[in-house]
Amino acid sequence: MDFDFGADADALRAELRSLIAAEVPADFLGAFTDDPNDLAIAQRFCARLAAERLLTLAWPVEYGGRGGSVWDQTVVREEMWAHHEPRGAQYMGVNWVGPAIMAFGTDEQKALHLPAIGAGEVIWCQGFSEPDAGSDLASLRAKAVAVDGGWKITGQKIWTSYAEMAQWCVLAARVGSGEKKHDGITLFLVPMDTLGITVRPIASSLGRHHLNEVFFDDVVVDDNAVLGGVGNGWQAIRHALAFERVGIARYARCDRLLSALEAELGDGFDELPHAVRASWTRALVAVRVARLLAYRATHLQAEGTPADTAASVARIAVTQADQLVAEALFQALDSSSLRDKASGAVLHGAVEDHYRYAQAATVASGTIEIQRMIVGRSTVGRA
Amino acid sequence: MDPVLPDYIVELAATARRAFAELGGVDLARQAEADPRARELAGDALAALGALDIDPLADADQALAALALCREAGRVALPYPLEAMLCRHDGAVVVLVDPADPLVDHADLLDPMLAVDLAGQVHHATVAGPALGSRLGPFAVPVELQPHDGFADVDAPATIAWALSSATVLGYVEGAVDLCVEHVRTRHQFDQRLADFQAVQFQIADAVVAASGLAELALFTVWRISELGAGARVDALALRLHAADVARTAMRTAQQLHGASGVAEEYDVSVLCRRVQATLRSPVSSERNLDTLTAAIRQEGFASLFPHGRERVST
Ligand SMILES: Cc1cc2nc3c(=O)[nH]c(=O)nc-3n(C[C@H](O)[C@H](O)[C@H](O)COP(=O)(O)OP(=O)(O)OC[C@H]3O[C@@H](n4cnc5c(N)ncnc54)[C@H](O)[C@@H]3O)c2cc1C
Repeated sequence: MDFDFGADADALRAELRSLIAAEVPADFLGAFTDDPNDLAIAQRFCARLAAERLLTLAWPVEYGGRGGSVWDQTVVREEMWAHHEPRGAQYMGVNWVGPAIMAFGTDEQKALHLPAIGAGEVIWCQGFSEPDAGSDLASLRAKAVAVDGGWKITGQKIWTSYAEMAQWCVLAARVGSGEKKHDGITLFLVPMDTLGITVRPIASSLGRHHLNEVFFDDVVVDDNAVLGGVGNGWQAIRHALAFERVGIARYARCDRLLSALEAELGDGFDELPHAVRASWTRALVAVRVARLLAYRATHLQAEGTPADTAASVARIAVTQADQLVAEALFQALDSSSLRDKASGAVLHGAVEDHYRYAQAATVASGTIEIQRMIVGRSTVGRA
Repeated sequence: MDPVLPDYIVELAATARRAFAELGGVDLARQAEADPRARELAGDALAALGALDIDPLADADQALAALALCREAGRVALPYPLEAMLCRHDGAVVVLVDPADPLVDHADLLDPMLAVDLAGQVHHATVAGPALGSRLGPFAVPVELQPHDGFADVDAPATIAWALSSATVLGYVEGAVDLCVEHVRTRHQFDQRLADFQAVQFQIADAVVAASGLAELALFTVWRISELGAGARVDALALRLHAADVARTAMRTAQQLHGASGVAEEYDVSVLCRRVQATLRSPVSSERNLDTLTAAIRQEGFASLFPHGRERVST
């Protein structure tokens, strides 16, 4: 038993930190702010990572990766999320779209998509959720009908992150009208500039460019767009979500912000009300626990052990820690927590930004209630 | 990075669990309250397991063995001062005390004793009267403290004492949660298992998440102590805080989901929830521990991905 990541991982962490320091401005708050320059920064940074073969570090060498260990990958996730995800929307392609194409794609799809993702040239979005299919994703209604040489897709997606910026979408639609809910669900790899696709941004507390509605009106794609075979979508979605659930190292940003604000407050930290310092300490401990649970899930995944429950356990802990930290940080700031980057917040608004994003942490990629259902059911078993 | 317990620690834990079950499991705790001489059975079983030869400060393996035994002892509220027996200095056992009301569980079985308070002061401790015999502290014995003159470097045993008491709490939590899961699977109301109510499943899930997190933190902390000895005091205090926080919520759930049986002596969960208090409240409750921890983090930092504390120590 050893909780040390080892010298190689430490060196990787140092390499990433110096790259970030060199390429990303200290006040960067992610690619989805109102400032278009932030997206440009993320795009540049991805290209730089790709040039160093760091973008797809964990991918097998045959697909253009470095064959890095899951712990190397963990270091990348931690450093990226800690520094406001300077890969922008590209983490999705690297984290699960690429791996899903490796697992389920045809040779042609691999040749078309993997190099582009590896080069940091393409943004993907995930068209799963619909107005009437959220937690109950399998009840989705977007429809794909066979036409000559391909498929015609009609339906609406919602909450689609980065759809406005994306060039490609992994779209879940239903073929036929199966007996069971999971029947017929099929994944399509769809270029976002296909005729009939309309993207409408949804104003949200996360900032302008995050969430979108996407409408598909008689969108025609060819047969090569199907990923993993007609009707096999559910299996691929489960695969994708398992990656997604451990994909965001939220605890790393929590850790960095607790550290940064403490430094910013200096001796003023000791003047904080006793209860605030106490919740600070508890938050630090919760972040450590969340990190360790994430490592457990990662370890099980790397061993090839089915890690559904462990991944859900980790996500419950990680997302709750995210909100606990957000509250602890705000408690320390009192009314100045209302200031954002433009109105002169401390740490360039990083705390205010974190608070807003943390509120969505227990909903995005499967709500905490659904995670509880997974953990609860697997613990008590069937009647 | 390898978060896996070595096989022989897993085996040791399984052997200990069998041995404690042969003694009657939680029944031995009940018996010992009626007749404290029953504690000798626990002592004999621990001796047979080699527990008294373990030096958790010697190396990582022995630290993990100590953790595993305390954890198993906690699962059945084993009536024996195992943690104290494992924390030794110069022929004496090292115990943690609150000088304001120094009580030590099973102190009548411990001699000689060196007692360490939250401020790190070292005292000689001697038994000052019979055990309280109260419901929450049946074996808590008042001790008298005498200043320890001369130098005794007990920082490392005191650090491991905080960690092992947390390992015991972890055992209590896991024992209670397991009993709770078993109960909701077998008890029916409204023509279905309690386990099939979503409100019940959600509470179970939260308890499982809490217990799993505590287990991970305990392993991590013991590893830190095996690397740093007394240098991991902050980690041990953090573990102890978290153990208390988790025990309060997860054991409350376990008791609540038992309904009235949760407070009935014949149900093991009731004994566990009652007996854990002696470890949870002594030497101090969690909020005082928290104050000490906050000050220690400011002073010494907190090992993490980014630096914490006034010194901005990054580990
Ligand atoms: C920041 C963010 C980014 C997102 N990005 C994407 C994306 O890129 N692509 C995409 O496809 N989707 C995306 N989503 C959507 C996300 O996957 C859904 O919001 C999520 O699955 C929940 O669905 P819903 O919002 O429809 O809520 P609902 O499913 O309607 O749930 C509402 C509430 O009811 C609870 N609930 C639902 N069912 C049960 C049940 N059986 N038992 C108990 N409680 C229940 C839920 O937990 C929740 O609290 C994103 C969401 C957010 C917040």
